[in-house]
Parts: sequence; structure tokens; C-alpha cells
Amino acid sequence: MFGKGLLQGLGITFKRMVGPNITEFYPEEKPNLPTRVRSSMGLDRDKCISCNMCAMACPNSVIKLTSEKNEANKKVLKTYHMDVGRCLFCGLCTEACPTKALKVTQEFENAVYEPEDMQWDMIQRAERKGKVE
Amino acid sequence: METLNNLFLIIAEAIRSLFADPHSVWANLTMNVINFIIVVIIVVLAALILILLERKVAGWTSQRPGPNRLGPRGWFQTIADALKLMGKEDVTPAGADKFIFKVAPMIIFCLPMMTLAVIPYGRNMAPINLDLGIFYFVGISSISTLCFLMAGWGSNNKYSLLGGMRAVAQMISYEIPLLFSLLGVVMITQSFNLGVIVEAQSTVPFIILQPLAFVIFFIAGLAELNRAPFDLVEADQEVVAGPFTEYTGLRWGLFFLGEYGNMTAMSALAATVFLGGWQGPAFLPGYVWFFMKVGVMIFMMMWVRWTFPRIRIDHLMHLAWKFLLPLAILNILLTGLGIYIYRFVMGG
Repeated sequence: MFGKGLLQGLGITFKRMVGPNITEFYPEEKPNLPTRVRSSMGLDRDKCISCNMCAMACPNSVIKLTSEKNEANKKVLKTYHMDVGRCLFCGLCTEACPTKALKVTQEFENAVYEPEDMQWDMIQRAERKGKVE
Repeated sequence: METLNNLFLIIAEAIRSLFADPHSVWANLTMNVINFIIVVIIVVLAALILILLERKVAGWTSQRPGPNRLGPRGWFQTIADALKLMGKEDVTPAGADKFIFKVAPMIIFCLPMMTLAVIPYGRNMAPINLDLGIFYFVGISSISTLCFLMAGWGSNNKYSLLGGMRAVAQMISYEIPLLFSLLGVVMITQSFNLGVIVEAQSTVPFIILQPLAFVIFFIAGLAELNRAPFDLVEADQEVVAGPFTEYTGLRWGLFFLGEYGNMTAMSALAATVFLGGWQGPAFLPGYVWFFMKVGVMIFMMMWVRWTFPRIRIDHLMHLAWKFLLPLAILNILLTGLGIYIYRFVMGG
């Protein structure tokens, strides 16, 4: 019939009109990220045994960590730095971590103004995040 | 209820009674000025609301919320836009025909006010009750063709001129089916008076008696208003913005106001002639019914605009001359036959 396609088109747009919006109000509401997004790293300082496996697994040598021995002759984490400018967020470090101290997180607001800000002090970040929570 | 229905008539009577002689020249003059102001308010308010509504509908059709930053749910967006337009520099291009260039937006802004003045907004509520209402309406609204040509010619710009020429070709072609579609209603009511036409629809709106005419009127009306899918006059991808290319600031804003005012006027005519005007169940006042019907028509126009792609220019002409016009003539023939048979059966 002549004009059937026109009516069909009107029907489709009307359905869109009454249906839900797909817009996400980003700054006010956090977007629904896909579940497997890898966009940031988080360190649990207490779980870390300073085994250096993450640094060895990293293809871009992003991770630099130092440790010291405590009274019980156990290694304790002293510093943990990541040069995120080089990081691929491939997640190989988290796979290598035997205690799951290092994790990939879904924070994505990582933009910074200065190159120096891309040197993450993971211990400091973990503490700061703990304070916010 | 009756008071609410006649609210504006009562107010008008009250104003008239302030004069020693309620029907003196001065009283009539005052009433005319008040009517004029009301029509201006209707046009400007309609434009303010419709511009936002258009963007909202555009958003909803593409699953977006539309403007949503300024005010509650973005309802103040148009006001901000209007203020921005006022702040813009008024540029007249070099080599422009200055008088024509400047006068075109003013005329196009006047047209919707002139046409809306004859629409009956309720029982006995037409600002001016003209016996040749439809005739006047169509005559005035066809002047907008001239405005587009003036704007296109005066701008001294090839795109503007092309757009203006397209406007003339398109609007004159579609004027004919538009007029012919109204003719069926006029044949039934035997009157050009819009008030009489509304009174005649107290039992059945003419959209039921004249469905074909309504469809033709709607399509031809869209083309007459230069709205998508018939927006070849201002087709951005082809002729920049057609006749509006060289306009800035408030002059461009006047064109915009005129466009939405004309849209309101055309919807008001459709509501009056085909949808029964202010007639409706008595639980709401007549003018509320009228504006609801106008709103429905406007929504239909926006819905169509954001659904269909632009028609090609040769197809546009074919649609008018080879399809709509024969259909309109057929409709007149059928209406005439119907009236003849009706009289024959009723023994008239």
C-alpha cells in the first residue's frame, strides 16, 4: 500500500519518543560502565608481600617498588610507584599478584594537567581513597 | 462552568462598560487594541514554547532528553537563546538591497498576527469576526512567499537567492491543493466564516466527513510552512540556510518567530476547520479545547519533521501537481456528489 512505509516510520519514532532515554547525565550521575572495564589500579597495602612479581610481569616497567625488613624478618612495603603514562592497563600485574593485593579498578577520571601527576604513589592513593570512603 | 467558558467575553463586557457608550468608537478602538495585544502575546508565547518543544521532540525521537540545563528540565532555554540573539551584531551584507533586506523579516513577523486575528478561540471569541475568514487567512498567509523572495533577493547571496526561488516555486505549487482541500468544507457549510464553520461541527468534526481533505491539507500545510520533509527552502546541506543565510541577531530571530507563528496559525486553521475548533465535551472551556487541538496539530507537525528525510525537489513538484491536486479535485467532486445525494434523499 502507498504510504505504508511512512506510517511505519512514524510508528518507530513514536516508540522512541515514549521509550526511555539513553542519555547518561555524566557529571551528575556516574555512567554505567561495562563490567570488564580496566581503567585504573588500586593497591591494598596490607595484603602486599613485596614479592616484586607485579613489577616483573609488567611489559612496560611501569611499577617500581621498594621494601624493608621488619623485626620478624618479613618484607614490608616501603614505596610503590606507578608511571601511569606508560601503563596499558593490561592487567598482567594483577594476574601475577599472588595475594591479590593489586587490583584493576573502574575509576576513569584520570586526566591530569601536568606530566608529573602521572607518577602515582599507590600507597598515598590508597590512603586517600580510604579517607574518602 | 458557563462563567469560565465565557470568562473572556465577561472581561470584554466589563471593559466596554467603563465607557459611557459601550459601543462608541472609543470603546471599539480600545477593544481592538486589547485584542491586538492578546494576539501578539499568543504569537510570541507560542514561538517561545514551540521552539523549546521542537528541540524536546527532536531529543525524544532520538532517545535524548533535549535541552535540560537551564531551569527546571531546561524550560528556560529559549529565553536564554532569545537574549543571546538580542546581543548579537546586526550585520547588513555589502551590496545588499538594504530596504528589502530589512523589511522582509518585519513583514513575515506580522503575518501570523494578521492570520491569527480571525481565528475563533471560543464561542464568539474571534478577535475579528470576518465573513471571508478562510479567504482572508489563505490570502494573508500566502504573502509569506513574498517575504522569502524578498529576503533571498535582498541578501545579495547566491544561496539566499536560490532558496528564495525555491520558496516561490514550492509555496505557490502547494497553495493550490491547500485551497482546494479547504473548499470541501466550505461547500458543506456554505460559508467562509470560520465561526460558522465551527458552529457547523457541533455534532461531527469535519475530519470525519472530509478525511482526504484533512490529509491533503496537512501535507500541503507542511510544504506551505517550509517544514521538514519539505524544508527545501532552508535546506542546510544544499543552500546553507536559504534566504536566512545573511541574517543575524534579532532579524534572524524575527524570521524564526514568524516561522513558528505561521506554524501556530496553520495549526489553528486546521483545528478550526477540521477538528471542530472550540467544540468539545463541556467539562472544559471551549478555548482550552481549541488550544489542545492546536497543540495536537503542532505535535503532529514536529513528529513528522523528526521522522522523515527531506524530499527531492522534483519529487516535491510531482507530489503537488500530479498527486495532491488531482486528489483535491476528486475530493471536491465527491463532496459535491455527497451534498447532492444528501439533498436528494432529504428531499431538499
